[in-house]
Amino acid sequence: MAQNPIKQPSRDTLTTINADGSRYAIHTADVRGRFQRWRRLTGWLLIGLFVALPWIQINGHPAVFFNFPQQRFHLFGVTLAFQDTWLLFFVVTGLAFGIFFVTALFGRVWCGWACPQTVYLDQVFRRLERWIEGDAPARRRLDAAPWTAQKVFKRGIKHTLFLLCSAVIAHIFLSYAVSLPRLWEMMHTSPIEHWTAFIFVFGVTAVFYANFTWFREQLCIVICPYGRFQGALIDDHSLNVAYDAQRGDPPGKPRDPTAGDCIDCHRCVQVCPTGIDIRQGLQLECIGCTACIDACDSIMDKLGKPRGLIRYASQEELEGRKTRFVRTRTVIYSVLLVVGTIVASLSLRSIQPAEVATVRMLGMPFFVTDTHVRNQFSVRIINKSMETMHFQVTATTESPLPLEVRGVDGLLTVEPLKEILATLVVQVPREAFQGNFPFTLHAVNASPEVVHTRRLEFLGPDPRLLHAR
Amino acid sequence: MSSSPQHSQKEPPPPDTVREHVYDGIEEYDNNMPNWWLWTFYLAIIFSFLYWFFFFETPLAETDAERVGAALTRIEEARLAQVGELNSAVLWQMSQNASFVEAGRQIFMGEGTCHSCHGANLEGGIGVNLVDQQWVWGNTPMSVYQVISEGSPNPTKGMVAWKRLGPDKVKQVAAFILSHHNPAEMAGAETLNSPIGRD
Repeated sequence: MAQNPIKQPSRDTLTTINADGSRYAIHTADVRGRFQRWRRLTGWLLIGLFVALPWIQINGHPAVFFNFPQQRFHLFGVTLAFQDTWLLFFVVTGLAFGIFFVTALFGRVWCGWACPQTVYLDQVFRRLERWIEGDAPARRRLDAAPWTAQKVFKRGIKHTLFLLCSAVIAHIFLSYAVSLPRLWEMMHTSPIEHWTAFIFVFGVTAVFYANFTWFREQLCIVICPYGRFQGALIDDHSLNVAYDAQRGDPPGKPRDPTAGDCIDCHRCVQVCPTGIDIRQGLQLECIGCTACIDACDSIMDKLGKPRGLIRYASQEELEGRKTRFVRTRTVIYSVLLVVGTIVASLSLRSIQPAEVATVRMLGMPFFVTDTHVRNQFSVRIINKSMETMHFQVTATTESPLPLEVRGVDGLLTVEPLKEILATLVVQVPREAFQGNFPFTLHAVNASPEVVHTRRLEFLGPDPRLLHAR
Repeated sequence: MSSSPQHSQKEPPPPDTVREHVYDGIEEYDNNMPNWWLWTFYLAIIFSFLYWFFFFETPLAETDAERVGAALTRIEEARLAQVGELNSAVLWQMSQNASFVEAGRQIFMGEGTCHSCHGANLEGGIGVNLVDQQWVWGNTPMSVYQVISEGSPNPTKGMVAWKRLGPDKVKQVAAFILSHHNPAEMAGAETLNSPIGRD
C-alpha cells in the first residue's frame, strides 16, 4: 500500500495531541461527493441566514434584534422587555429537548451539518486555505519548509484573509445587538465614542481568528460540552456515521476473494478533520462531517463496488437488524416537545405590549384622618411598544363602600419604550370602613389594545379600634 | 458486539502507559494533556493568585464595596452641591421666573402627581392647602423644599419623600408653589411647627 505520511489513529489517544503534549496539525485531503455537495448547500444557506437576518424588518424592527442598550429584545415581530425574561425557560428547555430528540434519532447531525464551527470552517476558511496553500500534501510541505519569500507571501495572504473574514463575522454578530444602522454609524465614528462595542468586536475577531486558524477541532473535542453529551444521548437505534465491518473486513487487495470490500487505502483517515479512523468504530472525536462517506464512496465507484461501505447506519442495522425510529425514547421526547411547544406558544401570546406593576407606596400601609381611611399606591406602566399609549386607569370594588380614587384622572400618557410612575390614592369614609377588602385596578389602552387588571388589597386598622372613639 | 478492528493489527500498538489503579475493572491510560490546555491552566492559577493579592491584600485596587461606597459619596456630594447653593432667596427668584414655574406646574399635575392629594388648584383635600396662609412645617421657602424632598416629618400623614425626582425638579415644584405667595405675606403667616428648612 502507498506510504501514509500522516499519523495513524489509535483508539487509545487523541491523534491531534502528540505524546509530548504538542499539537499535531491535521491537513485534510480533498474530497468530493454528494454529501459534501449537500453540506455546502446547507452551510451556505445558514451563512446566508446569519447575514440576511439583520436586514429583515418585522413590525419596524430587525427580525432578530437583542437591543441591550435599550433593554428590548425583538424576535420576529414580538418585542420583549426584561419583565419577559421568564420566557427564556422555554428557550432553554426547548433547545434541550430538541437536542435530545434529534440526537436520539440521527446522532450528531448538528455537529456536521449546522454548527457554526463546522459551517464556517469547512465552507469559508478551509476553502480559502485550499485555494492559497494547495492540497494536503502541499500544505504539509509548506508546514515543514523554511521561511522563504514564497512561504511568507502565502502565509501572509492567508492570515490577512482569515483576519478579514473573522472581522466581518464579528461585525455582523454585533449588528444583532446594536442593529445595522447603528453599526454603520459606529464604523464611521471614532472608537472612543463607543469603546465597549469596539473592544467587544476586537475581542470577538481575535477569538474567531485564533479559533478558525489554529484551534479548529480542539474546540469540538475538548471544549464543546455538546459533543460530549450528544454521545451519551444515542442508543443502538440512533444513526451514526459508521463503517460496515461485516462487509468490509478483513481488508485486503481489491481482487482478493478472501478479503472484504475495504482495501485499506486509508482515504477515510486522510479526509477526517478530527484525525480518527472510522473503521475503529464510533468515537468521541467524530463530528459526523460525512467526509469519510464520500471518500470511501468514490473509491468504491472506481472499483466498481456498491457505495455505502461507510454510511449513516445504526448499531442495530450494522448487526443485520432494522433500525426502529419509533421507540419509547423517541416517543417520550416527541410528546414532551409537542407539549412544550404548545405551552410556549400560549405563553408568548400572553405577552402584552405594555406592563403594569403596582406596589404600595413607601411609608405606612394606611392613613387615618378625621374623615377617611386612605391607601396610597404606585402604579408603574411600562410601554414596550413603539407607539405612544394613553392609559385609562380605574378602580372598582365589589364591596358596597364608596371608593374615592385620586391621582389617575384623565388619560396617563406613556411614550414609546418609556415608563411612568403614577400615584394612586384610594380612600373610603372613616365611618363606613369595616375592615380590609379587595378591589380591582383596571389599566386600559385603546390601541393597541392592552388590558391589565390587578387585584389589590385595601388595608386599614381594626374597625373596632377605629369606631370606638 | 461491534466490529473487531482487524486492520489495526498491522500497525504497531502505540506506547501507552496504563496507570496502576483499577476501579470496577476500569483502567486508565496516562496520555499527556494538550500543551495549550496545560498552559492555560497554569496561567489561570498564577492569575488567580495575582488577582487575590492585588484586590484583597493591597490597597492598589478598589474592592467592589469600596467602589460602591465611593460612588455613593460622589452622588451625595453632587446632591449637596446642588442644594448647598440653595437658599430661600434663590427659591423666591425661581418662583418669579415663568419657565421654572411652568416646569413646576407640569410636574405638579403630571409626573409628581401632587394634584391627586393637594388638588388641581392647590386647595388640598387629602393633602394640605398650599395657597392659604397656614403652614405646617415652617413658613419659609426652604421648609417647603425640605418637605417636598424628604417627605413629611410626621409619617402618619402620608406625604412621601420626592427627592427621587432629583433636586432640579423638586426646586421647580417648590417654585411653582411659591409663585402663589410673596415674601412679605409668607413671613407673616402662621406655622404649626418651627421651620424645618435651612435658611
